[in-house]
Amino acid sequence: MASTEPREGMHYLESLPRRWVTVYIPLLVFLFVLLFPFYWMVITSFKPNAELLSTGGNPFWVDEPTLDHFRKLFLGTSYPKWMWNTIIVSVSATFVSLAASVFAAYAIERLRFKGSRQTGLAIFLAYLIPPSILFIPLAMMVFQIGIFDTRWALILTYPTFLIPFCTWLLMGYFRSIPFELEECALIDGATRWQILTKIILPLAVPGLISAGIFAFTLSWNEFLYALTFISASENKTVPVGVITELVEGDVYHWGALMAGALVGSLPVAIMYSFFVEYYVAGMTGAVKE
Amino acid sequence: MTRITRRHFLQASAAAGAALSAPMLARESMAQELSFKPEPGAKLRVLRWKRFVQGDEDQWLANTKKFTEKTGIEVTTDAENWEDVRPKAAVAANIGNGPDIILSTNDDPHQYPDKLLEIGDLCEYLGKKYGPWYPSALAYGKSGGRWIALPLGSGGNCMNYRESHMKAAGFKEFPKDTDGFLKLCQGLKKNGTPAGFALGNATGDANGWCHWLVWAFGAKLVDESNKVAINSKETVAALEYAKELYPTFIPGTLSWLDPNNNKAFLSGEISLTSNGISIYYAAKTSNDPKMQEIAKDMNHAVFPVGPVGHPTMSALFFTCVIFKFTKYPNAAKEYLRFMMEKEQYEEWQKASIGFVTQPLTFYERNPVWTVDPKHTPFKFSCKNMLANGYAGTMGTASAGCMADFVVVNMIAEAASGNLSVKEAIEKAEKRAKRYYR
Amino acid sequence: MSAVSRFFDNRNVLGLLFMLPAGALLLFFLTYPLGLGVWLGFTDAKIGRVGEWIGIENYEYLVTDSVFRLSVFNTFVYTVIASVIKFALGLWLALLLNKNIPFKSFVRAIVLLPFIVPTVLSAIAFWWIYDAQFSIVSWVLVKMGLIDQYINFLGEPNLARMSTIIANIWRGVPFVAICLLAGLQTIPPSMYEAASIDGASPFQQFRHVTLPMLSPIIAVVMTFSVLFTFTDFQLIWVLTRGGPINATHLMATLSFQRAIPGGALGEGAAIATAMIPFLLAAILFSYFGLQRRRWQQGGGDK
Repeated sequence: MASTEPREGMHYLESLPRRWVTVYIPLLVFLFVLLFPFYWMVITSFKPNAELLSTGGNPFWVDEPTLDHFRKLFLGTSYPKWMWNTIIVSVSATFVSLAASVFAAYAIERLRFKGSRQTGLAIFLAYLIPPSILFIPLAMMVFQIGIFDTRWALILTYPTFLIPFCTWLLMGYFRSIPFELEECALIDGATRWQILTKIILPLAVPGLISAGIFAFTLSWNEFLYALTFISASENKTVPVGVITELVEGDVYHWGALMAGALVGSLPVAIMYSFFVEYYVAGMTGAVKE
Repeated sequence: MTRITRRHFLQASAAAGAALSAPMLARESMAQELSFKPEPGAKLRVLRWKRFVQGDEDQWLANTKKFTEKTGIEVTTDAENWEDVRPKAAVAANIGNGPDIILSTNDDPHQYPDKLLEIGDLCEYLGKKYGPWYPSALAYGKSGGRWIALPLGSGGNCMNYRESHMKAAGFKEFPKDTDGFLKLCQGLKKNGTPAGFALGNATGDANGWCHWLVWAFGAKLVDESNKVAINSKETVAALEYAKELYPTFIPGTLSWLDPNNNKAFLSGEISLTSNGISIYYAAKTSNDPKMQEIAKDMNHAVFPVGPVGHPTMSALFFTCVIFKFTKYPNAAKEYLRFMMEKEQYEEWQKASIGFVTQPLTFYERNPVWTVDPKHTPFKFSCKNMLANGYAGTMGTASAGCMADFVVVNMIAEAASGNLSVKEAIEKAEKRAKRYYR
Repeated sequence: MSAVSRFFDNRNVLGLLFMLPAGALLLFFLTYPLGLGVWLGFTDAKIGRVGEWIGIENYEYLVTDSVFRLSVFNTFVYTVIASVIKFALGLWLALLLNKNIPFKSFVRAIVLLPFIVPTVLSAIAFWWIYDAQFSIVSWVLVKMGLIDQYINFLGEPNLARMSTIIANIWRGVPFVAICLLAGLQTIPPSMYEAASIDGASPFQQFRHVTLPMLSPIIAVVMTFSVLFTFTDFQLIWVLTRGGPINATHLMATLSFQRAIPGGALGEGAAIATAMIPFLLAAILFSYFGLQRRRWQQGGGDK
């Protein structure tokens, strides 16, 4: 159930014009700026090449929309295969990272075992390492394990940058859950496992979703590792495939590139729209003091 | 291990190539045939750069299919944007696993020569049958006397210009020297149809014309013994020239990457740039009447010659390398041999309307160079080009300077006035010395 | 409770068990290669050739290398400006989205879009938007009569810095906003009710309820935002490759350029390693600076 109660105390005193100035107009400006590049992508992906390179006419509109770019994308490249790879890799990497992060965050934040503070800091520092330095040593390792040029190479290496973030995000959430709850449960004789699954996790669902969305997106976007560890066309992910196979020498196929970007964003967009609903509704179970 | 190659034969001057090609036709039948016996059950994986022109890839794949039909060897070909092949090749060399054969660019093979299979027998055979190799091909193919890479040809590099705009600027034909070239650019600018040459970090286009400019004035990054020699009065002259040239360009060239000049030329924003044949190919094969018009009005010319008095063009160069870790060295060699034989190579050149310029003199006879006079200027790209790392030898240092844009940055900084000529040269010298330690 | 379950309920044992999956993954795929990478920075390794140990020579050279120094400067400018703006805009957007607006969930979903599209591809869209000859922005401004020449977005050093920063902000704001929004939603409405009964103005409510309650999440989000910005690679690589004349080279792109296309693995590794102290400082700052709450206290500000 969605929350309808006003969040701001003096809400009923706000007149409509004032709301326009303080809320609606800024929001519309935000939306315009955030969405314009997408509009531009959509327009570009339906524009015939001739219109793309002409400086006359109205650039904001398409005179003769064409599906050629999409046709090229689906029939002229291994795009569907890349899509499938990206989905598998992103879902698996997200799942692995989230599971590991929940345990780690709970242990650091709530169990406070010996050395948990240092561990927390260490995980934090783990993010310090830019992929651009890791990828050569990682490539050697990936090869030694024998997973070079497979999806496993990505599923196992992506958590290196997903876990630190997810863990920290979840620690923030766990921290906002009152300690008293846990203490009461402990007194009532609940085990840690029960506390984690029955109390903490349900309360941290928005955090989990945030972390999950985040991890999924980051995996979906990852470029450098995917570029290095994958060499066969049939194993590529969408970002790498589009960039390496739609850019031909010194000719950029703007239309097909934009079409690829759009189609490549769809699965994530669908997932998001589904979860944002859930995310908003799930908020109402906020802790009552 | 180094084989003793018959180098004195190979040093036969390339200039004689054209004259030699007639007797060579006769010799061809007599040249002993060579073939390698592929290992049983061989399978090959080839990584090549993504086509610059459609016909190149189509024909390459068709030739590959022919090879598979003939030998039963399965060949999988992956294509990547040419700049992404480099990290791939580097990783493959480093970890000892990846494609068996890579079609690489420029001096890449010289960064890891000891990871590559020695292919002297194949190259000597091709040199005998279709050669001799041009000097630039020898420079790119051999490292320390070993053949480590099979020269495939050059991506070619010519001045691309609009006939009508050049005439309007008062030139009947394309200027042959640097003074005339500057005047042409100034004239084009006056008429509002400016030139544009990439000065951003564009690996192909910016490096190409910037090296031509420096060499044209007799300046060079290193001398014959690989000692940094950029700090010279010749370089000063080259940079002073660049300072005069730069204001005639369309604004924005400092940010240009490889595709920018193609786009600007095809949209009519600029009327002069340097490029391979890909601009013309795109215009010619387009079904858009506007592009057709540009194709009709555009033409190519070889780079003007500077005060140094000989051609100094620079262009992309393509080679094929076989990694030592391949399980099927003979199959790989046989594949490369097959692809270089005239039945395949000539067709390939034709399909790509001469995008790749032959490294062997024999292929000068290919009708592709004469069927359209606009192709002709590209014919001698390999013959006229100077190799990367000129006047020194190729290796990690030359590749490093190229990839780090030492010369491009120097010209961009001096031409745009961000640094004085002296400062720009000193900076380049310092950076080059780092690579040529 | 049996002894076994009591044993497993022991803090330290359980803590260790819970840390195992994350710890193992990170140690194996991160710490070990990191050590390898740092070691590379002390060698003169080239691509395809194992390096010799040369001590700090790479660093000695880098200190005198103007391109490297410029890249450090650029990285700082890029990170500071982009992060500050991302935080301000992100917080603002989160507050707006937290209000009762029509089509609330739809708007929230839409806002996230920039974060969804693969960076490389949105970077290409920006490249197309910034193009020196075909820029739609320039086109509009020319048509409106505000400028008479196309803006050279990526061709002037300072303009190029600005353009890349804007693209980075565009990508980053939704992420900051959505994380902060999630944080805002964990604040119990009762706190606002109590505050407004006490007669606190909206600003005071923001100052004394919202910000303190948000601070842990702000600390985390901003720290990561700074990290992502500092180690950004894709955006610059697609837009400018570090040009014009190295004005937008960040340490990450320079390290890649020297190590992979340039073949100087050792030097590239040294540049990347040189990022670590800076990052460490940034992290410690935001970690201790933004997190005003005491580690042990889970509850709200008393």
